[in-house]
Amino acid sequence: MDSGIMKLHKVNFYYGQCRALTNISMKFVKNKVTALIGPSGCGKSTLLRLLNRMNDLISGTRVEGEILFEDKNIYAPDIDPVEIRRKIGMVFQKPNPFPKTIYNNISYGPKLTGLGTGNMDALVEQSLKQAVLWDEVKDILNKSAMNLSGGQQQRLCIARALAMKPDILLMDEPTSALDPISTAKIEELIEELKKNYTIIIVTHNMQQAARISDETAFFYIGNLVEYNKTDKIFTNPDIKQTEDYITGRFG
Amino acid sequence: MSRHIKEIIIKYIFFLFSLVSIVVLGLIVFSLFREGLPIFGKVSVRDFIFGMEWYPTYDPPSFGIFPLIIGSLIVTFMATIIAVPLGVLAAIYISEIAPASIKEILKSVIELLAGLPSVVLGFFGMVIIAPWLQETFDLPTGLNIINASVILAMMAIPTISSISEDALYSVPREFKEASYALGATKFETIIQVIIPSAMSGISTAVMLGMARVIGETMVVLMVAGGAAAIPESIFDSVRPMPASIAAEMGEAPFRSAHYQSLFAIGIVLFFLTLTFNLIADYVSHKFRQVGSGTL
Ligand SMILES: Nc1ncnc2c1ncn2[C@@H]1O[C@H](COP(=O)(O)OP(=O)(O)OP(=O)(O)O)[C@@H](O)[C@H]1O
Ligand SMILES: [Mg+2]
Repeated sequence: MDSGIMKLHKVNFYYGQCRALTNISMKFVKNKVTALIGPSGCGKSTLLRLLNRMNDLISGTRVEGEILFEDKNIYAPDIDPVEIRRKIGMVFQKPNPFPKTIYNNISYGPKLTGLGTGNMDALVEQSLKQAVLWDEVKDILNKSAMNLSGGQQQRLCIARALAMKPDILLMDEPTSALDPISTAKIEELIEELKKNYTIIIVTHNMQQAARISDETAFFYIGNLVEYNKTDKIFTNPDIKQTEDYITGRFG
Repeated sequence: MSRHIKEIIIKYIFFLFSLVSIVVLGLIVFSLFREGLPIFGKVSVRDFIFGMEWYPTYDPPSFGIFPLIIGSLIVTFMATIIAVPLGVLAAIYISEIAPASIKEILKSVIELLAGLPSVVLGFFGMVIIAPWLQETFDLPTGLNIINASVILAMMAIPTISSISEDALYSVPREFKEASYALGATKFETIIQVIIPSAMSGISTAVMLGMARVIGETMVVLMVAGGAAAIPESIFDSVRPMPASIAAEMGEAPFRSAHYQSLFAIGIVLFFLTLTFNLIADYVSHKFRQVGSGTL
């Protein structure tokens, strides 16, 4: 499997003196869904935020090792983090639409880059359709995004990320704040999106990881314990710790 | 003593304290009106407010305060024009851009500015700015609109910047993260997300800054020049309302028409500041409700 779109090579990550990730080497496969699982505090969010340089925003952090995206180290000094974030979209745990209209939420990113110039309406419609939200909001595009339900807001956030036409979509527990119906909708959506996007998703929900992902990585206290095909991890993991976690014996 | 009774006693003690401040305020407003309103038996409200001539000690006297109102409004307006960009930009710099060390220094400097007694600022205007203005622009006097506006702006900047800073600071981190994650730069995030989200607080800050300026007395008494005439340029002297009251109250005989007219000016001033505060209130509510949405 050399279709790795993103590769980590011996990555260590520190918050100040405190090491949050230890010697991580792994490869994310193009057009697949990779799930990151592990107990709370093991560094899943840290790893995810490392991949689009969101950790740069926290002062006192430090990265060692290499993270290659399309064979270029995204932490090389000549790389502009803004460029990276335009290609690698992110959806957060808590839906965080801007206090703007639905339309302006979607057009925010593309406007910054000049993407969709002259055809913004079409881009907005396309993005909302991709996120399966279009039918629910097509008549209220000029209303505040804050009035949508939590599940709708989260799909709006996905649509907003998709409007940038990213190569990779990072999702940090995107359904943990949502009800089962909204969760099911977003899972269907992920299924659909992986045809065109590489998706890396953090989740605490084992069934969700098993349902939607192709690859699964299990982390424990900043270490990558086991990384393999999801089927393999959930039916016959190589390492005892992984099995204990998946079957709910700890964590 | 049961906990319930304690709760009730505490509740009434707090009620009593809040009542005291309300009663005191009520009494002040009452006496303002009792001393000021009788003037309107001698001159109509219209002639008082729109009258062009303020000669309260002439015989016959003339009680037109329009030049004083214009004086107040013009220095307030000009001070706002100076103070808003400086105050708001300082707040943005402090809350979003400055490194921690500079931030602390700037914050203390602004607090220091807020703590300067107005008479000191007025003195600064009289002995430093006035002579400089007079020489540089070849004016008959440096005590004029522009001088007063600059000094008043210095007084408004701390109010505007500290309240704006609170507003900027309370913009949720989620909004900023969302913006950065979409590939926005820091500058784009500040302009398009942070400032619009803090708009209600910033507007409130501006209105409160203006309310502070329009009621300020010492500075306008010292540096506005004191001419009770409609100004023709920013280098003309004016006599804002608080300056008139402060300057003339001492020599106005008790309950004379002059005395009453000064109280009536107080009433006008009271309504003006009240208006600013109400607008500040309205703006902050309006933005908070729809607001978030329609920005
Ligand atoms: N901003 C921060 N500053 C300092 N330490 C942090 C920061 N964010 C996270 N950490 C630490 O890094 C470690 C990993 O945190 P991280 O948020 O990546 O865990 P996680 O696996 O996402 O947990 P959860 O499942 O609860 O979201 C934790 O020990 C945490 O205390
Ligand atoms: Mg997390």
